[in-house]
Amino acid sequence: MKVNITKWSSVSTWHWDVNEECCGICRMQFDYCCVDCKVPGDDCPPVWGTCNHAFHMHCILKWLNSNQQQQCPMCRCEWQFKSDQK
Amino acid sequence: MNSNVKKLGITSTGGIGAPNKKTLVIKNFKQLPKTSDTFEEDSWNKLLSAIQSIQNKQPTIYTQEELYRTVENLCSEKLYSNLYQKLEFQIDKQTERSLLKLVNQTGDIITFLHLINMCWQDHTSQLIMIRSIFLCLDRTYVIQNNQHLRSIWDLGLYYFKHYLLKFPDLVRKVNIGLLENIQKERNGDRIDSDLMHSLVKMLTALQIYNTFENEFLIETDKYYTIEGGQYMNDNEVPEYLKHTQDRVNEEYDRSIRYLDPSTKRPLIAVVEKQLIERNVSNILSKGFNNLMVENRIEDLSRLYSLFQRVNAIKELKVAFGGYIKQVGQSMINDAQKEATLIQDLIELKDKLDNILELSFSKNQILVYSLKESFEYFINLKSNKPAELIAKYADSKLRSSNKRMSEDDLEVVLNKLLILFRYIQGKDVFEAFYKQDLAKRLLMDKSASIDAEKSMISKLKTECGTSFTEKLEEMFKDIDLSNDLMNSFRDSNQFSSIGIDLNVYVLTGSNWPVQPPSTVELPVEFKEYLDVFSQFYHKKYSGRQLKWQHGVSHCIIKANFPLGKKDLFVSLFQTLLLYQYNDKSEFTIRELQESTKIEIDAIKRNLMGLLNSKTDILLRRGKQKTQPLELDDVIEFNSKFQHKLMRIKVNSIQSQETAEENKKTNDAVTQDRQYQIDAAIVRIMKDRKALNHNTLMTELFTQLKFAPKPVDLKRRVESLIEREYLGRDPENPMVYIYLT
Repeated sequence: MKVNITKWSSVSTWHWDVNEECCGICRMQFDYCCVDCKVPGDDCPPVWGTCNHAFHMHCILKWLNSNQQQQCPMCRCEWQFKSDQK
Repeated sequence: MNSNVKKLGITSTGGIGAPNKKTLVIKNFKQLPKTSDTFEEDSWNKLLSAIQSIQNKQPTIYTQEELYRTVENLCSEKLYSNLYQKLEFQIDKQTERSLLKLVNQTGDIITFLHLINMCWQDHTSQLIMIRSIFLCLDRTYVIQNNQHLRSIWDLGLYYFKHYLLKFPDLVRKVNIGLLENIQKERNGDRIDSDLMHSLVKMLTALQIYNTFENEFLIETDKYYTIEGGQYMNDNEVPEYLKHTQDRVNEEYDRSIRYLDPSTKRPLIAVVEKQLIERNVSNILSKGFNNLMVENRIEDLSRLYSLFQRVNAIKELKVAFGGYIKQVGQSMINDAQKEATLIQDLIELKDKLDNILELSFSKNQILVYSLKESFEYFINLKSNKPAELIAKYADSKLRSSNKRMSEDDLEVVLNKLLILFRYIQGKDVFEAFYKQDLAKRLLMDKSASIDAEKSMISKLKTECGTSFTEKLEEMFKDIDLSNDLMNSFRDSNQFSSIGIDLNVYVLTGSNWPVQPPSTVELPVEFKEYLDVFSQFYHKKYSGRQLKWQHGVSHCIIKANFPLGKKDLFVSLFQTLLLYQYNDKSEFTIRELQESTKIEIDAIKRNLMGLLNSKTDILLRRGKQKTQPLELDDVIEFNSKFQHKLMRIKVNSIQSQETAEENKKTNDAVTQDRQYQIDAAIVRIMKDRKALNHNTLMTELFTQLKFAPKPVDLKRRVESLIEREYLGRDPENPMVYIYLT
């Protein structure tokens, strides 16, 4: 017998390319959005600091706006956005 | 007669040639006219003879006109006082005479009734005649002295009453006679209701109706006390209800036909009390459930209207609710009927609604009772009904359910939603609904997207936006994927693949999570996916794709020795069949090693291929009923044939496995724990310190599902361990919120 595939209906789920499972600020998984958003997606992406810690963009912005020192909340290094997100 | 003196002088000036005056003088009578001395006596004799003729029912010698004038003359001579007294005396005597005749009347009571009625009729008609003769007396003398004097009519009534009461036997006999007659009529005999009417009118006119009424009501009470007990014992409830209704109508009719209107209300009240009120619980316990079971709309309406008369709706409510609970409970607990439970419940609801509408005129108390009872029994078996409702919705929304028109589907879904409203475990429903919806969407099994969306919007109105948010996101993911696929198909990469590849890219958090599958794909398969992945990464950077192979499915072309076929199979089945491209038999163990598919999934997918209808593969040397073993040899069926060109083998994929079911249930349980934790912390943060029982009651009101107290206690303990809460050192029953 010989079988050949002609049509394939495949299913996948997308995930952010993040090593950590959840955002260190809101403790939500990156697969979910930050607490202020409703749906995960490009509107609520994760961002990385030069220290390689990742947070929801909304979460870290909120943190930086409410603090004098611009530090990563995880390691207290000075916070710099990593330009290339990889 | 006229003794006034009048003098009229008429002077006229004549015409031409007649200048002299003429005077017309009218002079007084020389003598005043005098009435004769015997005037009064003569007049009276005239009148007396008239009265006597009337009383003896003989014609009067004088004309009415003449008699009237006589009275008028007497009155103008101001002789009325005497006249009145004489008349009164006559009436008095005559009444006494005619009633005395009845006193010693023996013989049966009916004859007596007729006699006294006759006597009364005569008396009144005579009185009318006398009065018309003596009208002048009534209009002058009596009116002037109406404080002391009775009018002629009243005189007649007065003396009639007077003598009736003087011989109490008479009144007694009248009453007894009336009551006997009524009893006869109640027992089904015909009676002379004109006679009754006339006598009752007599009693009313004489103002002695009250005595009769009292006795009548007491008799009625006795009569129906006995009947209420006996008829209830001897007959089934429907007959009893019918009988009671007839009785009520009958008594109503009776009160109209010959009783005084004022009796209607107390009379009906007595009947209602004895026939209905006293038997409310009997009726309900003896026959209510049967009426419900047999859907006796008419009898139930009767029962309702009777009960409403005596304000027994509360009792009816208890029985109605009790019936629903009992029926519902036995349906819910019948494990064998689980498959048809929801259909059965919908039918039960329809039936009850019908009864409510047709028999109980949508009484609000009963409508509420229905709701309450459904809520009670449907939540007895914690989560199962919620799960079954979701499954039922799935069965209706699936494409296999094509027979149903959109409108019918809408009706069914609306009914289903009413049941949904009753369940507490809405989260369980959501979990299962989501699971099934995912399968319908990913495997193109949905009967109609319109119906799906309409169901979602129904759920939304029922439970709010947050309930359906995730479900709506699922639809969005599908739409997004379709857009994505369109642009993929237009791209160069797509043409390089050579097969029709369709990929759904889902947002992981919106969909029920699948266990990650580690399967060994053939090289070309991996390449197909890589092509798509590259395309995707270009569009969305910073994302990675995880493949959900468990739900992906394919169409494969198979060259069987006996013909070519298109097979609709799951991806796993494809992988298994690909093995047979090179070799025609494998053990299950070998299949597992080369495909890396989980053993349970292999067995499940093989079942579809080993099925007697689609026996593409054969198991060597074993009965079909035996469970698959690792060492079983599965070989290719070279004689496979099928009447269809396209064969669906992947139905297995859309069915729910026991494992999935358990997972869904576990997920709900897990989710509930978080909800309990959150609720406890929320309450404690607000109240700072709270004793155990108050906390429990607060929790029961806040949580949307019905939690078990044990679970709550466990969560409190867990929170204490995690130092969200502490115990009050002075009172171990009190928890305090730790900051």
